[in-house]
Amino acid sequence: MANENEDKFDAIVVGAGPAGSACAYTLAKAGRNVLLLERGNSAGSKNVSGGRLYTYALELVEEGLYQRAPLQRKIVREQIMMLGAESAMTVDYFNPAFGGNDAEKKAAQSYSVVRASLDEWFAGEAETAGAILASGQVVDGLIEENGKIVGIKVGEDEMRADLVVAADGVNSLLGQKAGLFPDASSHAVGVGVKETIELPDSVINARFGVTDAEGAARVAIGCTDGISGGAFMYTNKGSLSLGIVFNADQAGKQKRHIQDIFQDFKMHPAIQALIEGGTSVEYGAHLVPENGYDSIPKRLYRDGFLVVGDAAQFGINTGLIIRGMDLAIVSGLAAAKAALKTTSPADLGPEYMRQLDELLLMANQKAYRNFHHIFEINRIFHGYPELANDALQFLFTVDGKVPTPMLKGLLNTVRKHASYGQLAADGWKAFRAL
Amino acid sequence: MPNCLVCYKWTLDEQDIKIKSEDLSLDSSRAKGKISDFDRNAIEEAALLVEKLGGAVAALSYGTAAVKQSLKDVLSRGPEKSYWVADASAEQADATVTATVLAAAIRKIGPFDLILLGEGSSDLFNQQTAPRLAALLGLPCLSFVNKLEVEGDVVKATRKLDDSVEVVTVKTPVVISVLSEINKPRIPSLKQVLSAAKKPNQELTVADLGLTPEDLAPKAVRKSVKGFVMQRKNIIFKETAAAANVAKLKESLASLGLS
Ligand SMILES: Cc1cc2nc3c(=O)[nH]c(=O)nc-3n(C[C@H](O)[C@H](O)[C@H](O)COP(=O)(O)OP(=O)(O)OC[C@H]3O[C@@H](n4cnc5c(N)ncnc54)[C@H](O)[C@@H]3O)c2cc1C
Repeated sequence: MANENEDKFDAIVVGAGPAGSACAYTLAKAGRNVLLLERGNSAGSKNVSGGRLYTYALELVEEGLYQRAPLQRKIVREQIMMLGAESAMTVDYFNPAFGGNDAEKKAAQSYSVVRASLDEWFAGEAETAGAILASGQVVDGLIEENGKIVGIKVGEDEMRADLVVAADGVNSLLGQKAGLFPDASSHAVGVGVKETIELPDSVINARFGVTDAEGAARVAIGCTDGISGGAFMYTNKGSLSLGIVFNADQAGKQKRHIQDIFQDFKMHPAIQALIEGGTSVEYGAHLVPENGYDSIPKRLYRDGFLVVGDAAQFGINTGLIIRGMDLAIVSGLAAAKAALKTTSPADLGPEYMRQLDELLLMANQKAYRNFHHIFEINRIFHGYPELANDALQFLFTVDGKVPTPMLKGLLNTVRKHASYGQLAADGWKAFRAL
Repeated sequence: MPNCLVCYKWTLDEQDIKIKSEDLSLDSSRAKGKISDFDRNAIEEAALLVEKLGGAVAALSYGTAAVKQSLKDVLSRGPEKSYWVADASAEQADATVTATVLAAAIRKIGPFDLILLGEGSSDLFNQQTAPRLAALLGLPCLSFVNKLEVEGDVVKATRKLDDSVEVVTVKTPVVISVLSEINKPRIPSLKQVLSAAKKPNQELTVADLGLTPEDLAPKAVRKSVKGFVMQRKNIIFKETAAAANVAKLKESLASLGLS
């Protein structure tokens, strides 16, 4: 370490999640003197359960980097489930092209990942590149001088740096301390419960129709007790990750605990059949930025200070895809690139915003800007899933009685769940959101 | 001003070890390493003594190649230098082998006034390493220590025994094994973690120490390790009358040959 003054770093990155590690890795690889701080006893120890990582983000950081990552299965099956009281309708979209091309060594579009191992690996990559990783360190303050952020505080200890990067996750203490935004308000975030269930690979393969290296990603609606939200399920190696993300505002007003709703979901016959015989090994709850573009704070920087990842509220949730890790990685990379490109503290922030544009992160956020309005259509979560199931029940029922004419029967089913007026209003709302 | 050495073991965190239900074998593939719990107390005690009296504290560990992972951790807890012996023999080592290796290392890097260890390791808890080490070095050994005072070359230790508390004094050099209640190991601060990266560490090979394959071969060889799982019957008796439940319980116990 070419560092005379032991208390001064080129950059201090707070939080060893995907955002922080991507930033620290890129800076360290370019020879910068980086300190990466993590409050968990090891990186990833605070991040329970799993998720799906879109590979392009790691490719942006460094071509081929994903090959070193502890990825679980490449996702080749996308599944959508609508749950009725006991029944379920599942759409299964199989596309081997999503699995990449092994001959050309092309990465798959996305992989399931287990956060504990992914985060530990990525922080380890940053360390190998020359960053100093200190875990078990809770950053609880910033040092400010002449309107510039010049360092951080961990209890009694102070540490200085030219740049402090807040990669401290969804309820960013540092962003609040820097005065950039208030506490995460409940309508801007979702609350997620998630669990990891171990099962032998042979069982997972059989239940999801996949091979050892391939996997399925499933989303489900109709399992949130009417609260805006949905469930997800990913196949890993030797385990399944599953959980539900709820609108925090509505969940707060609900009488039932979200853990109980999650429990009901697991007991649904169609879900129970998938997890039966498994052992629960991890359980946790976490917030997730949900409102997309409009919730991103107006300012993501101050002199000597940048906010990345969940801390900056980057996130896209269309109900079909949940994206956070990839945006976290891209924003961590953008921060590192900005730091490498600029010399004056005043140029740093604007350059970071420019990098976010150049790496298309902002364009992605904008593209889904109005999408979350679709979740205001409450019948998506309570009504339509039942409708779909009833319609299928009608179509598939054979009991020897005289069947209702097809069209009439279907229309009856529809009317049971929503009036034509409601349908039209919902359709219009959906059209505008899209 | 005492010149101290702490010996510690780098073990797997038992919380991360899983028992496979198929064959009761242990799955430690996801287990992280840690400094054995009681050894952390030994390190803390040495650090506290030196912070109070001056002097120096070094650390020594014998383990498999994984022992290298412990250096940053141990050096952030007070010692100024660490010595380590990484050898595959550690996988099977019993307390005799461990004490032999530590004694050989201490002859090379010593002498020390105080040699501190934990009462037992968090994986095997043999409680034999300290007394065996003392015997090999020809030093007195104080075990079960839960309070320690040092004045000049006189050590006053409180030993917590099964049925009594014993206060003993002894002149250095001495080997001491400590109990967990002696102190509360520190959570290293950021500055301590960062300074650890700059402290020296030195590898000692078994060849350096003049140890032969015989020295490193345990008397008892571990053939296998299996987990223990409590098998519950999960039988619930749901009769309304208590007497009927008791009768059923009796029947059930009898069928298991337990009455
Ligand atoms: C239920 C659920 C499911 C999800 N599924 C997916 C998915 O499938 N795909 C996807 O892409 N995204 C998913 N996400 C979103 C994704 O988890 C986040 O977007 C992503 O983790 C953000 O990364 P980050 O590095 O910004 O923050 P985090 O991963 O939250 O990392 C922040 C780190 O900072 C540390 N930290 C916080 N405060 C301090 C402090 N004061 N001092 C020191 N360290 C600190 C934390 O311990 C943590 O390690 C999901 C989220 C939830 C809740």
